[in-house]
Amino acid sequence: MAQFYPGTSQVAQNRRNFTDPDYKLEKLREISDEDVVKILGHRAPGEEYKSVHPPLDEMDEPDDVVRELVTPIDGAKAGDRVRYIQFVDSMYFAPAQPFLRARSYLNRFRGVDTGTLSGRQVIEARERDVERISKELLESEYFDTARTGIRGKSVHGHSLRLDENGLMFDMLRRQVFNKDTGIVEMVKDQIGRDLDEPVILGEPLDEETLKAKTTIYRVDGDAYKDDKDAVEVLQKIHVTRSFGAYNPEKGWE
Amino acid sequence: MDIEIFPYRVLGSDTTEKILNELEDFDDVKRTVIHGPRFPNEDSLDPKYRERRVIQVKGNDITLKVKTGRIFVELTMESTIDKIEEICKKYIPFGFDINRSKTSYIRKEKTVSDNIKYGDMDLPDELIGMTDQYSKFDDNVSILRKDDLD
Repeated sequence: MAQFYPGTSQVAQNRRNFTDPDYKLEKLREISDEDVVKILGHRAPGEEYKSVHPPLDEMDEPDDVVRELVTPIDGAKAGDRVRYIQFVDSMYFAPAQPFLRARSYLNRFRGVDTGTLSGRQVIEARERDVERISKELLESEYFDTARTGIRGKSVHGHSLRLDENGLMFDMLRRQVFNKDTGIVEMVKDQIGRDLDEPVILGEPLDEETLKAKTTIYRVDGDAYKDDKDAVEVLQKIHVTRSFGAYNPEKGWE
Repeated sequence: MDIEIFPYRVLGSDTTEKILNELEDFDDVKRTVIHGPRFPNEDSLDPKYRERRVIQVKGNDITLKVKTGRIFVELTMESTIDKIEEICKKYIPFGFDINRSKTSYIRKEKTVSDNIKYGDMDLPDELIGMTDQYSKFDDNVSILRKDDLD
């Protein structure tokens, strides 16, 4: 069995759940295909996919064993452009966080490229695949309407204090809290262009649920130092790596 | 003596209004300064999402220009701090700190910016530190142009 992450705490278990491609993530909300397209802002809903090359079937490809081995993903087959979606995760018990996203994306999705920064995580793929993946990410445990931001640019805010209503700071105010209904709505697409109609994202998860679902070790939640197993493995990796890197011939003494 | 109320989340307009009203009830509280991220000047958002609004403090209209990240309070007696703590407990359920590590959180000395803004005039002590150093001329002055061409 593949070993995804060490540790005995709930956070460690959540990390394992995300990174295990066989684990089925809980579906928390329903977002229509059209809304996903609106949020992404790469094309208008209903518009044809633009392409950068003819469909693979029509192309005269050279003989290559790898091309025979690997089944192309739908977008590549059709010749779509490469497009992206980028998420920002608050430090305050967001369900996912960038490094975990990277590990789990690569375990769960084919034909993607992902990039990690301290507060944000971008995933790139062919357009129709990015839409499929985005829908999956937005509807599942990966996403909380208040603590996770969909931000193609101006991502600042993951380490700032939350708003009183639990929303993460966003200078472009894309995801906003509707005071009348208590529901988070998206009034701009991921790079901050106004939407004609707001996209209803849904109610934010409450604090207890977030603490149970989070993959972030925090002193006021599950502290990393309390997870003896995880710390032990980390130390082992650290020592092995240090010896191995600095003087491989010397090794352990 | 100054204290700093530091809520663990940035407060919205409603909570700010309630806290300020209760703080103003104390005779001992001399001055209060709200500090935090600025609201955008012209709000394009639908009113149901909007945070910026005119709040009422002791019957006076105050246009909020910032979100409440911290509140500085100038007072004289230690006993008032306990009372302020009670108020904060009532309105800030997600936790807060009351810091007194510095003797002064509100600026008490005149600075170069003050000098540029007000010139050499005698600024009363209680106004020092109460001005918004980022405020612009247009925020406070409206110039009405008369059209003389007709």
